[in-house]
Amino acid sequence: MKRRRGGIWLALAVVLLAVGAWLMFTGQGDEPPPQAPKVDFPRRMRQEEWKRAERRRTQVLALAPDAGPTEATPRRPRDPVLAALPRGKGKSAVVIEANALRHSPIGELLVDCLMRDGGKRMDAFRQFSGVDPLQDLDRLVITDDGLILSGNFGNARFKELFKERVSSDYGPGARVYEPGSIVVTLPDGGTGRGQGDETVATWNDQLLVVGDTPGAVKDVLDRVEGRGSDEPPVISEGSTYGEMYGVVSVEQLARMLGRDQPELADQLREVADSVELHLDARSDVAMVAEIRGSDEAKVTDLGKSLGAALSVARLKAQADGNKDLAQLLDFAQVQPDGSEFKLELAVPIDAIRERLAFCRDAGQPPREAGMQP
Amino acid sequence: MRPLFGIAGYVLREAASRKFILAFMVGITLLLLVLSLSLKLEVLDGALAATRLFGNALNHRIVAVDVALRPLYMACAYVVFYGGILFGIVACSDFAPSLMSPGRIEHLLALPLQRWHILGGTFLGVMTLALCGAIYGSGGLLLIFGVKTGYWTLGPLIAALLACASFAAVYAVMLTTATLVRSAALCAASGFLLLVGGIIAGYRTPISRVFEEGLGRRLFEGVTLLLPRLSSLANASAELAASQPLEVKSLEMLLAGVLVFGLGALAVGFWRFEGKDY
Repeated sequence: MKRRRGGIWLALAVVLLAVGAWLMFTGQGDEPPPQAPKVDFPRRMRQEEWKRAERRRTQVLALAPDAGPTEATPRRPRDPVLAALPRGKGKSAVVIEANALRHSPIGELLVDCLMRDGGKRMDAFRQFSGVDPLQDLDRLVITDDGLILSGNFGNARFKELFKERVSSDYGPGARVYEPGSIVVTLPDGGTGRGQGDETVATWNDQLLVVGDTPGAVKDVLDRVEGRGSDEPPVISEGSTYGEMYGVVSVEQLARMLGRDQPELADQLREVADSVELHLDARSDVAMVAEIRGSDEAKVTDLGKSLGAALSVARLKAQADGNKDLAQLLDFAQVQPDGSEFKLELAVPIDAIRERLAFCRDAGQPPREAGMQP
Repeated sequence: MRPLFGIAGYVLREAASRKFILAFMVGITLLLLVLSLSLKLEVLDGALAATRLFGNALNHRIVAVDVALRPLYMACAYVVFYGGILFGIVACSDFAPSLMSPGRIEHLLALPLQRWHILGGTFLGVMTLALCGAIYGSGGLLLIFGVKTGYWTLGPLIAALLACASFAAVYAVMLTTATLVRSAALCAASGFLLLVGGIIAGYRTPISRVFEEGLGRRLFEGVTLLLPRLSSLANASAELAASQPLEVKSLEMLLAGVLVFGLGALAVGFWRFEGKDY
């Protein structure tokens, strides 16, 4: 009897151990777990960005004819685009690294969007202007007074492009195309002559400057040639990290917030002096905004308000079942540091891909048509 | 069932008389008290705006409170899991050997009990002890952070329960060892070995790739197939504590597998105990 009962326990043990092994094997699964999302925020200059900045120091300013003995040491080469940026407090400039962005996942999505007509418009522009925006454009700078485009414009047909404008040389290698009289169609169907509204300038086939007024464009050229003010540009070389970076005026940012968060926008206007933005698009889109102000206590309060707003947005996304948005807001954080704070936000590339899916779909022929013999 | 509970009560009374276990409970209480009195958390609309421990600012980031507490809950889950099992191995290693010591075992065998009741009751008593400790520690932590931040989650409590389930498998092997050799040190060693084996079993797939194709790999896969995947459960408990998505395919099956392994090990102990002459 004792031996029989012992046998039952042993048989039960064998069965239980076998069932346990099967349950654990099935429960764990032998497939590797999916990678947790990881976002690389642009917080400082990376090695490749220092190298890029070094490669861009191509301009050596000639010494002024009346330069004294103190000016005898050769000047350090500089980046003409950074030199062209506005100077002084309250000015804004945002640099888009068009070439880097074009080769990033989000850039590819945007190119897909642009090329959804099969690239016909892009080809037409290329043939008409001699400029291939996908190859020749390096950087695009948006300032308060206009645009600055940098790249290789050696093949551009500026003379044909701006033939209706009044052109003149403005220093070595620079040419300004001021708005000339143009033929316009009047509301009654007739035609009349009017004045173009933008001034364009070129500099050494490297820069194309578009401004609201001839004065604004000439100011840019003056700064490039070292004739402007001695103040440093709004973006220093040490801040040229990310695929998009720059200094945005507080008013602009407050206007963006104003629609949904009017109180927060007012607080931003009151407290912040400047907002520096950096955006990384090498995989997911990650943004770091550095907000500075003069009153440390108020800046900290603003950081807390922004952190709370992000937390509420995340809770709302979770409640609405918007998993992607909730996941990206997991990475959102505010990092106070005295009279400034850093705000970090991320958007997973898959979320952007979903939003831009209509572009890719619109560019492809209907599936049914392809199936027909 | 009454004999089982009787033995379990006997084990619990013995545990209560041990200063080592009492000191552990007092330690947990003190830790929770210190944490509740010294930690100041400033929460603003669900965002953790400031953290102060003993008056010193700890964290400068302003993030959603559950995101901020995630690493803390994960760390606590790992400490409760591995720390709890290790403490359980050391603290409970001599319960079974002392019950089976000459003089006491004869007395127990003379009682109107079946033999498996003695082992089953010891197992039940130790598991009750482990469960109480886990619920006390994780519940206290949950209460402190819940009151201080307004963020309530059952994650840490579930993580502690998973740790208990894992300890059940470990203690079943320790109990079975006690039926083979009446030594507290060897019982603890078997528990420790199973813990290490269970950690390895959780990572059996990546580790098996280190072995060359052939007998060595097959042997490794065969042995680790039977062992409880303790590290997988530890990871799952940390993920649950932090409200993160689980990496395992099915937690229920994994948990059931570990518990069934424990029952299997216990059945081996019953078989051995039934056939042993005292």
